[in-house]
Amino acid sequence: MEIQDDWLDRKLQEAVPYIEDDGFTARVLRMLPQPVRRTEFLRSFILVAMSAFASALTYVLSDGGRFILVEMFRLTTIPTLWVVVFALASGMLVMAGGIFAAMYRVHQI
Amino acid sequence: MELTDADLIARVLVDDDQHAFGELVRRHQSSVRGLLRQLTRGDVQLADDLAQDAFVRAYKNIRTFRGEAKFSTWLYRIAYNCFREEARKRKELVGINEEQWQAEQDPQTIDPGLRHDLMHALSLLPLHERSAVLLCCQNGLSHDEASRVLGIPLGTVKTNVLRGREKLKKTLAAWAN
Repeated sequence: MEIQDDWLDRKLQEAVPYIEDDGFTARVLRMLPQPVRRTEFLRSFILVAMSAFASALTYVLSDGGRFILVEMFRLTTIPTLWVVVFALASGMLVMAGGIFAAMYRVHQI
Repeated sequence: MELTDADLIARVLVDDDQHAFGELVRRHQSSVRGLLRQLTRGDVQLADDLAQDAFVRAYKNIRTFRGEAKFSTWLYRIAYNCFREEARKRKELVGINEEQWQAEQDPQTIDPGLRHDLMHALSLLPLHERSAVLLCCQNGLSHDEASRVLGIPLGTVKTNVLRGREKLKKTLAAWAN
């Protein structure tokens, strides 16, 4: 009598019974790298704190941010044509950045 | 209600939840370790080391799992790659450690003599046929899934399964009655 495929498959499956864990999962978990979320949080916190500190320092050293008012006043005196050119250039720069980021993302996927 | 593999993977991705990954390991350790034991021809220690390596790699690369295939298929592919790398490093595949292998098996499920002959027949198959037979006939993967795991064309998988089966049938012909 010839051996049938399903008989062979069944015997192959029966030949390897369930393997008990016996600490295997625990060993794997010990080998996993530590979650990086804490360091990411710390990095964000440091960045925000440093930015806040730098802003406060600038405010104090610049006589209460007086230079901002001066520069704002100067901005109002810029010719309209320059404002339009500046707005267009900024828009195009941001758009180019967006397109580049999208292309990079598509390439990654 | 028991969480699905997809739920557990989502927890690992969103919260970096290692307990969720532990549950995934618990669920799939038996099949992955079983496959590697067969591929290494019964070297339990090496198979378990490779399985550990495979699960750690799976954890590190879990963001690349897109859910197109079953999680188990993805794991098999990683485990198979670990095995291939180790085999390449050693230049030759590990020898048969049948005594240890037999001692690990549950004697209630299959005639010990048949198991011995089956395992011996399997170990004699060339690697490409053995891998295809183990994945498709023993672990129940479709030919398409096995093709993804092994990284070879579908037609080659079918041929390897067919040839492997025929060789096993010939070797085990005495057990037909």
